[in-house]
Amino acid sequence: MTVTSPTKQSGGRPHENVLRLRGVSKRFGAVQALKDIELDVHQGEVVALVGDNGAGKSTLVKVLAGVHPPDSGEIEFEGRTVSIQSPTDSRDLGIATVYQDLALCDNLDVVSNLWLGQELTRGGTLDEVEMEQRSWSLLRELSAKIPSVRIAVASLSGGQRQTVAIARSLIGEPSIVILDEPTAALGVAQTAEVLNLVERLRERGHGVILISHNMADVMAVADRVVVLRLGRNNGTFRVSDVTSETIISAITGATDNAVTRRAAAKTAATPVPGDDLDEEPEA
Amino acid sequence: MTQVELAGTTGLSPATVSNIVKELSGSGVLHTSVTSRSGRRATLVTLSHEIGLVAGVHFSSRHLRIAIADASTAVVAETHVPLSLDHRHDAELDRVVLLLGDMCDSLGTEIPDLLAVGLGIPAPVDRRTGMVSTPGLLRGWEGIDVGGSLEARVGLPVFVDSEANLGGLAEVRSGAAREAPAAAFIHVGHHISAALMIDGTPFHGVTGKAGQIGHVTIDENGPICRCGNRGCLETLAAGPALLDLFREDAGMHRVTDLVHAAEDGDASSQRVIADAGRHIGIAAANLSNLFDPERIVVGGELGLAGETLLAPLRHALERSALASADGIPEVVTASWADRAALQGAIALALENAPMPIEIADKTPA
Repeated sequence: MTVTSPTKQSGGRPHENVLRLRGVSKRFGAVQALKDIELDVHQGEVVALVGDNGAGKSTLVKVLAGVHPPDSGEIEFEGRTVSIQSPTDSRDLGIATVYQDLALCDNLDVVSNLWLGQELTRGGTLDEVEMEQRSWSLLRELSAKIPSVRIAVASLSGGQRQTVAIARSLIGEPSIVILDEPTAALGVAQTAEVLNLVERLRERGHGVILISHNMADVMAVADRVVVLRLGRNNGTFRVSDVTSETIISAITGATDNAVTRRAAAKTAATPVPGDDLDEEPEA
Repeated sequence: MTQVELAGTTGLSPATVSNIVKELSGSGVLHTSVTSRSGRRATLVTLSHEIGLVAGVHFSSRHLRIAIADASTAVVAETHVPLSLDHRHDAELDRVVLLLGDMCDSLGTEIPDLLAVGLGIPAPVDRRTGMVSTPGLLRGWEGIDVGGSLEARVGLPVFVDSEANLGGLAEVRSGAAREAPAAAFIHVGHHISAALMIDGTPFHGVTGKAGQIGHVTIDENGPICRCGNRGCLETLAAGPALLDLFREDAGMHRVTDLVHAAEDGDASSQRVIADAGRHIGIAAANLSNLFDPERIVVGGELGLAGETLLAPLRHALERSALASADGIPEVVTASWADRAALQGAIALALENAPMPIEIADKTPA
């Protein structure tokens, strides 16, 4: 299996913008869940989506997954403006979502779970051999530690189940993989496994949207962090530029509240003297 | 090695080797198993796991790697985790204990059964206090006895050194700098630092700062460095400085991205890596004028770029280093690639570990 993205260039650079959201809003009755959301995801980039409870992370994921069509706003996918009205639309575009509950069938084995609903057939019967071989090659590519692909998912550890769920999302070679809280309720070793898996996805050229409450995990694997607060964008940060404290203050609103806005309005009214002096002379 | 090969290497008769092996496996030092060589049955002789396993732990700027190895430095279990840039000692050492416990579980042993732990961190360590030598180089790990802190958590002897020194140790023991009486190992990744290896051991200096080549001044008026000076080599050639040049590029966030882009033929990435090589070459020339190594081994993540980095490095070295009759020191890539420090941590633990079995008593006099 190869990364089959039509926009993939031989030079490896520049990385294409796969997903682009502008002014996306969603309202449930009186509740404004999302307001003017902007989001960019590039090929081979891990974007963490963080925010407090009720910030709109899950709603945004559901908009992308086609569960809730947005009220307004523009979604561009690989340069084309698209409309995502149903989960099928989302999947056909190449957006795969792995939900927190994984949605695996405990009584089925790994192969059956991976191909559930998209089974390969040959001459009217299931092509078990091909499915098993492709399962192995996919899991190997992800350096997954699964003892056998023919054991029931119920007997796997939390990290292994997460691995299976992520591997299943890759069957259709999506451009974007959305992981909703992949490390919640996992032990330290399983978390390590999942974080390594996110790195693998990045290397394979998938754009990854990672939703997590764990700042250490976010800072470990993400390239950019998009902060949502009360349904609005509250800053986008490059992980290499910031500390987790900065991001937490953006999540909690310590950087943007009535006091700081008043202070900002005051400084904007009276320009600081010497503002133009801080340029690097040798730049 | 098989018994026949042992006899060949040592020059002893096969019968003598067989006797010694029998005796040593009786006392639990060796482990024998049946294998085949050129179609014939042979006895494979390895050091027994019961002599003990050691753990190597390597914190780099963005990764934690842990390995458990047997007495022959062969790795029997390994795991790694991506880390955030500003990792802190308390959370990370706790994580090491949990991961080590899990790994020991999978091997059917327990943490107290290990002999020792070798620990590498991406900053120089003062061996008198066990603390990071210089403030500013590793903020989350300052002001504590790093080794002592892990020792208290696992109850095992812990030996600490900087990742550069451990990388150097691995390359001298079983890598590109083997049998070099004086060699330098330069780690180029998120940070730049070097190990000065003299007769197989790293030279630490008084406070452990020896070999901090990343903080050699290249440009008096250059950018401000995290160490508090200006124009250090790191501000021109280390990972963050190079990646900063690609701010507009959404796909360029890690040193490995840069190396991959250069491999794929991206001209600007190749140029940036080559420029880094040139700057490192100047510092390496100063290093070789002072230290006169036989070989300079380049490791770390940027070292994976191979000749893209090394050719300009060599050129700059040639221009600025004092030539001797043998020419300039040989510049080679690390044979352990980005696992050098982990392997060095294992070697450090093995060499300092207390031996549980008195081998001398049981060997024939």
